[in-house]
Amino acid sequence: MLDTVVAAETPEGIILELHPAGLPARFYAFVLDWLIRLVILYGCAIVARFLGGIGVAFWIVLLFLLEWFYPIAFELGRSGATPGKKAFGLKVVMDNGLPVTPAASFTRNLLRAADFLPFGYGFAIVSMLLRQDCKRLGDIGAATLVVHQAQAAPRVTLQQVEPVAPVRPIPPRDQAALVALAARAPTLTGERLNELAAIAASVSGDQGHAGSAVTHRVLGVAQWLMGRRT
Amino acid sequence: MTPLHFEELYQAEWRELETLLDRILGRRKVTKDGAPVEGQRVAVLYRRACEHLALARARSYPAYLLDQLERLTSDAHQVIYQRREFGLLKVKRFLTEEFPRSVRAHSTYVWVAAALLYVPMFVIGWLVYERPELILSVVSAETAASYERMYSDSATAIGRAAEGDWMMFGYYISHNIGIAFQCYAGGLFAGIGTLFYLLYNGASMGAVGGYLTERGHSATFYSFVVTHSAFELTAIVLSGAAGLKIGHALVAPGRLSRVQSLVAATRDSAVIVSGAAAMLLIAAAIEAFWSSASWLPHPVKFAVAGACWLGMLSYLTLQGRNAD
Repeated sequence: MLDTVVAAETPEGIILELHPAGLPARFYAFVLDWLIRLVILYGCAIVARFLGGIGVAFWIVLLFLLEWFYPIAFELGRSGATPGKKAFGLKVVMDNGLPVTPAASFTRNLLRAADFLPFGYGFAIVSMLLRQDCKRLGDIGAATLVVHQAQAAPRVTLQQVEPVAPVRPIPPRDQAALVALAARAPTLTGERLNELAAIAASVSGDQGHAGSAVTHRVLGVAQWLMGRRT
Repeated sequence: MTPLHFEELYQAEWRELETLLDRILGRRKVTKDGAPVEGQRVAVLYRRACEHLALARARSYPAYLLDQLERLTSDAHQVIYQRREFGLLKVKRFLTEEFPRSVRAHSTYVWVAAALLYVPMFVIGWLVYERPELILSVVSAETAASYERMYSDSATAIGRAAEGDWMMFGYYISHNIGIAFQCYAGGLFAGIGTLFYLLYNGASMGAVGGYLTERGHSATFYSFVVTHSAFELTAIVLSGAAGLKIGHALVAPGRLSRVQSLVAATRDSAVIVSGAAAMLLIAAAIEAFWSSASWLPHPVKFAVAGACWLGMLSYLTLQGRNAD
């Protein structure tokens, strides 16, 4: 399978499709988070320098907090993602699609210490490249998954074509294929659309023919299948 | 039923659910009347949307309908099953019961981890004390000299390399704290990483301690390390114990698969490790504010340190035992 979809079943009996985020997306998110932390640390370092000893002490505690608890704080927040992950449309969820639990967020981030090794997140990269669900070691242990957040898909409106009643019964799979073709029609070139419509020409009684008139009628059948009658 | 009819029939419900979700997730400004979102209504609408999605899939409805329903149900799923466990009550329960009880429940791992850290610490410490030239087989001559400068009686701020060099000081502290998490994460490599980090850090701490004692800086050195080590060393031991548990789960998974066994052990170890993380935060604060203060007389530091050690050990052994 080329698709890296992870299926998670909910108690309501539906399958949620999770799309694990690959190495590049997670790398960009990581770099962004790293830059954010760097800016905060540098900003505070300037302030700490003015405050002297006590400022330094606070800065050290801040360094510790940012290094280990920055991701945890954000993952347990409303969005389930650090600012970097959010910017690239990623979020952390459990294996079964549920929101990440505090314990899992904690362990996946502390196990990061194993992902660092041997240098430059070596084990994390190897693990993410080898696994279909792109987990780093911390994700495996904590049973979490970094997924692409579902983007609001633009609503597809079918081109306004006169509905045409099909000349023969059409099995459900073919109905779905016809409607999908009609939805994709605006993105296809005219020639390609004609080619594809010719394959389905039998639904409007045009088998063996091709051309824009046939395409028009095939798309009309799709309209009819969608439920338009006039 | 045709897709258009289906959509027309149920669209109002989907819209309502989407509006409620937008309000819960903060994607939309709360309206002026600001009525709170009714949880029950969300649950009802969510179950309806699940039914509609199942129907739409079974009837091979067009992709845009499926997309819309999938997005709606997965958003609602996240909202409905969200677990919020950050109440003060939860923190109190964690501190008074869960953490010390979990430590005692894993006492075998804790004892093994403690032995792995402290035995090499005292053995190497004693060896270096007897034969100080051995320090050179652990660190370079310059590093040894810099340790000596850091803990000499004349140093203005103990444990700090030089005035203004506080970037390095911060680095050392966060590095020391990182050791605890390395001991934990090392468990993922069949426990070998944990073994290595515990033994290695025990040995190197012992070497530095033995060397500085032999050079006559014992008062400064021990008054510096003894307070925060009550939290730092104990946290390292506890993280090591959690790492050993993970390693053990990987090596001997019993009747579970290796991944299942790992996940179960990690979930169990979360309590100990989050307790250890809290202890490390305390250690960092003490190290930064208290230990490095050279104006405090040594007896005060030692007295506070004694109280810290006693408090820490009795907390771990006694707290919450009535609930056991």
